[in-house]
Order: sequence, then C-alpha cells, then structure tokens
Amino acid sequence: MTDGPLLLELDEETWADQLDRASAWLGNLLMSQEKFRTYAEDAAGKIEEPHIREYLREIAGRAAEHEEQARGLFLVLGREPTAGRSTAGAVLAKGAELVADVVGRSGGARGNWRDVRQLLLANQDAIGAFAVAEQLGYALGLPELADPCFRLVAEKTKDQLLIQEYMLEMGPMAILLGLDA
Amino acid sequence: MPVTVTRTSWDALRSLPTTARPVVDPADVEVPEGYELEPVLVGLSFPCGMGFAPDGSLFLLEGGSTWPTRPYMRARILRLDTATGAMDEIASEVLGGPRGVTWRDGTLYVTVKGGRHAHVDRIDPSTGERTTIVDGLPSGGWHEPSDPVFGPDGLLYFGNGSVSQNGVCLPAGFTVDLAKHPTACDVPGQDVTLTGNNVWSRNPTAPFPYLAETGPFKPFGRRAEKGEVIRGHLKCSSGLWRCHPDGSGLELLAWGLRNPYGLAFSEQGELYASDNDLEEKGERAIADDPDRVWHIRNARTPHGSVSTPDWYGFPDMCADGLPVDHESHRPAKGKAAERLIADPPPWAGPATYLEKPHTCFCHMEFCRSDAFGHRRALFVASFGTYAPLNTPDPNALTRGFCITKVDVDSGSGEAFLRNRRPGPASAHPGSGGIERPVDCKFHPDGRSLYLLDFGVTAVAPTHVVAYARTGVLWRLTRI
Repeated sequence: MTDGPLLLELDEETWADQLDRASAWLGNLLMSQEKFRTYAEDAAGKIEEPHIREYLREIAGRAAEHEEQARGLFLVLGREPTAGRSTAGAVLAKGAELVADVVGRSGGARGNWRDVRQLLLANQDAIGAFAVAEQLGYALGLPELADPCFRLVAEKTKDQLLIQEYMLEMGPMAILLGLDA
Repeated sequence: MPVTVTRTSWDALRSLPTTARPVVDPADVEVPEGYELEPVLVGLSFPCGMGFAPDGSLFLLEGGSTWPTRPYMRARILRLDTATGAMDEIASEVLGGPRGVTWRDGTLYVTVKGGRHAHVDRIDPSTGERTTIVDGLPSGGWHEPSDPVFGPDGLLYFGNGSVSQNGVCLPAGFTVDLAKHPTACDVPGQDVTLTGNNVWSRNPTAPFPYLAETGPFKPFGRRAEKGEVIRGHLKCSSGLWRCHPDGSGLELLAWGLRNPYGLAFSEQGELYASDNDLEEKGERAIADDPDRVWHIRNARTPHGSVSTPDWYGFPDMCADGLPVDHESHRPAKGKAAERLIADPPPWAGPATYLEKPHTCFCHMEFCRSDAFGHRRALFVASFGTYAPLNTPDPNALTRGFCITKVDVDSGSGEAFLRNRRPGPASAHPGSGGIERPVDCKFHPDGRSLYLLDFGVTAVAPTHVVAYARTGVLWRLTRI
C-alpha cells in the first residue's frame, strides 16, 4: 500500500449521513427539553409552599438555559435546529398536564402534587435524551457534542434528585389528605 | 454488513472530521533510526486486537465496547488485505466484543469478552460461520480475555482476566458493571480459605447511598466469613488455559493473573503473559504495583499433567513479590487493602519483567525476523495510564503510550516507539502522533511491525470516556 492511507467510514457521504441521523435525534432531544422547561414553569407557578416554589423556579430557569444549549448542539453537527419544535414542546407539556390530572385523580390524589410527579417523568425523558446525545458524541468522535451533554446530564440529574425528593415528600399528603403543596 | 473504505491523501489526515482526533501525523512520533512509520487505516472504532494470516491478510477486531462499556459500536471482525487495501467484514460478535485473534490452518480463533461470560470462538473466514469452542468463563466485570495463541504443541492457549478490579467487586468499576452484571464475581482456580476481610463501600444500586459490605469471590454486597472455603473451578477468572483446537481437553495452567491481555510464545517455545497492575483508588487501593510480563512455566509441561495450577498473586500479591498490605504499597488515594486469602498458594513469581505501574501492557509478540531486526525481542503495546483516575501519582501521567521492547532473558526493557512529546497525541493539541497502542503484530513478510492504536481515551480525575472512529492502524517498516 503506497497510494495513501485508508479511511474507514469517514468519507464525506457516510459522514454526512451519520450527522443527519444524529441531528434528527437532537430534534427529539430539544422537544423533550422544551416540554420539561414548559412544564417546570407551569408547575412552579402552581406551587404554594414557598421553598418548593423557589426551587422549581430555579429548575425552570436552568431548564431554559439547558434548552438554549441544546439548540447550540445542532451547530456542532453543522445543522440548524428544526423549526416548529417550540410549539411541539409546549403542546406536549400541556398534554402531560392533562395526563397528570387524569393519573392523579385515578390515584386518589388531588392538587399540584400531580404536576411535580409529571415533572419528574418529563425530566427523566429529557435526561435520557441528553445522555443519548452524549453517547452519539463519543460514537462520532466529537467531544464538542459529548462534553456539553455530559455536563447537562449531570446538572439535570441533580435537579431530578430534588424533584424526586419533593415528589416523595408531598405524595402521602396529597394522596391521604388531598392537600396541596 | 458492507464496509466503506476509501483511499485518501496524506494531507486529508490533517483535517479529519473526528475532532477528538483531527490529525494523524507520523512526524509526531519518535521512530528508531532506520525505520519508517506510516498510518495505514484511520477511523476504527475501539479496536482491541489483530492477527495476521500467512498471506498477509490482517484480521482486525473492533471492540464493540470500551471502559465504561459504552457506547456500544458493532463488534466487527474486519479483514484487511495489506497488499491491496481491500477490506471486508468477516463476522460480528456479541456484546462485550472480541479481544484477541489468531489464525491457524484457514480458521480464525477469537477470544470474546462477552456479556456475562467470556468465550473462545472458531470462525470460518470464508463463510463467517462461528462455533463457540470454550464458553462459561467468568466475565461481566472489569478485565479481558487474552490473545489466543497456538503453542509448539499445536494446542490453543488463552487467558481471562479478573472480574473485579482489585479483588472485590466494588463501585470503583464505574458502576456500569454493577448495573449490568450485579451477580458477577471472581472465581478462584483452586480452593482458597478466606481471611474474612470484607470491604465497605457505598451502594450505588440502592435508592439511598447505603453502605454495603462485600467479600472476595462474591457478588457485590455479599460478605465473606473468616475461614470460609471458596471452591476452585476449572473455569475461573484470572486464569490461563490450553486446549485442543476444538476446545476439548481444557486444562488450567495458571490463575491469579489479573489481566493477562497479551500472550506470546518465544522462538524457544516459552510462553509469556503480560499483566496489569492493581489500582490505587477506591475502597481496596494498592499503590505502586508494577505492570509485568510473566513466564508461564506450566506451558512446558505435557498436556493433561497439571494437577494444581500455578498462582501468580491476584488478588493478594503485587508483582514485586510483596503482599498488597505491605508498607510500600500503601495508597495515597483510597482505602488501604487487606489480605483476602488466609492460605495463599505458593507464588509463581518472580516476574520476567517489571514495568512502571500504570503503563498498561496489552497485546504483544516476539520478533522472529532478522529482516526487521531485534530478533527474539518481545514487543509489547503499552496502552498508557488512566492516571489521574487510577492513581494520584503525577509521575504516572505520561506512562505508556508506546511500544515497549523487552528482553526476556535479561529482564530489561525500553520504549521502542513513542511520541516526541510525552503522553498521547491528544494531550498536545495539533499533534498527530499515537494515542493508545493496544496491539502490535509482525507482518508475515518479516519487515513490518503493525501497531493497532485504540484511539482517544480521555481521562479525568473523576471519569474516563473513549471516542469511536479515532482508532488507527500504523505500520513500522525497516527501510
């Protein structure tokens, strides 16, 4: 072999196809994060307990920052964020609120605890989406994709622990006494 | 599945799309005088081993996993025609992926880390048909099955590393292992009586970080009792075996080899195994255990004659012959180790060659060619350290990342090929040298040594990650 080195699946066509596929996942990621951010904003507005309300507001603020960083991930791949996702995220958040209402009622709970429980599920979905994007960064040899996702997963996991703690703390009161938080 | 390989220019290697490794440039590598280094193939994903057929076909193993075991990339066995550059996929392997390969009489023999169990497969390269000839070797944890090699006796020799990192299954194994294989554990190669020393650690599998107590040769969270006897098994961890090419006649020659990743026979017919040191971290930490090359003396015995396997020290002895709780092995990071086995077997050391800790010896091969030079020397791929993750010793930060040449007769060694600047190329932005050598094998023409470079693995004090598509096959040729 004296004609130059070989590239394994790093030719332009194969690479562009891989980036397109990764970009499509980022579209899902953005939608999941938009849903979580919208839900967090709505849930924080409904909580009366001042400490929990403040924590949820902080989480909603971080969620907005994470959402902006998620949009920046497309640029790493040389792609643009898909238009119309914001609407989809907001619609999904409203849908989740309806689900929370139904699930909460069928479980005998009432009040805003149902929103905290749904918030937990929404963040879990978004964490998973970021974690998969992180893996895509490793699979494509792109630290510019993997590194921010690694940090975002860590930050969102901390928020998740906090949401889980309040969901667990509030659960018995909401279910047994029907009280709001 | 098809493999897309394209010929490119040397200039193209200065602007690769993989930003983890944007440049591949042999000019950044210090090569012995009279030799020339060139990149042959760029873009491999977690390559873990390779082997030649006599016609110059090179079989390359893409790992399918790394440490931690994600992302999973297809665990492929690729065939490269080193004369034409033609490439195809022979077969793919199961989760955990292939680790070592050898060719014999038109058949490939492949060791596979597997999921829960490691195994040895025989593969027909013309059809891809796979037959598992040895199965059920304890795995699902940390270390690897070795090179498979054929001895002068026509028997197949192979090893399998330990499940635990330092003798007890602990969260230090990145938790991924505990999550995927919560009941995996080491198995001794002969009966051992336990001291009853257990290790306390956090339990990341619990809803809250409760503490857990774990003993040796036990799954995570199960304690050992003083005087408890753990029965030895033929299919142990940290073992080394031989068998007929169809897998029959399996015989355990040795155990207590922590990670015998490299196996090689000398021209004199002596078998040697590379092995990695215990780590200085976590709840059972050991400092300054050397990397090493062992002489496997039982390989000289007639097949079927080994009634008691030799013991090479894991989990209680360091390669320098001192126990893990010796003052010289007291860790600066993590909790000091206690001994686990109350009745240790006789130690099979000393080692043939001791290397600095955290060099990470991997696959290796003896030179049998005067055309290449250095005949009878052992060439070892030195993957390079995981410091600062696995030791706080700043001196360890640049260890490895080279090809080491070892004289097994004198027990001496030196770096044969390494970057001009210390450490992996990625430690020096803009550099295009080697990252992490994982294998080195001689071309059948006897003129070239091929070097398999795993690719970029980034290590931080808290975690380690690896990037696919950054693996490179290099060729070092005597000119």
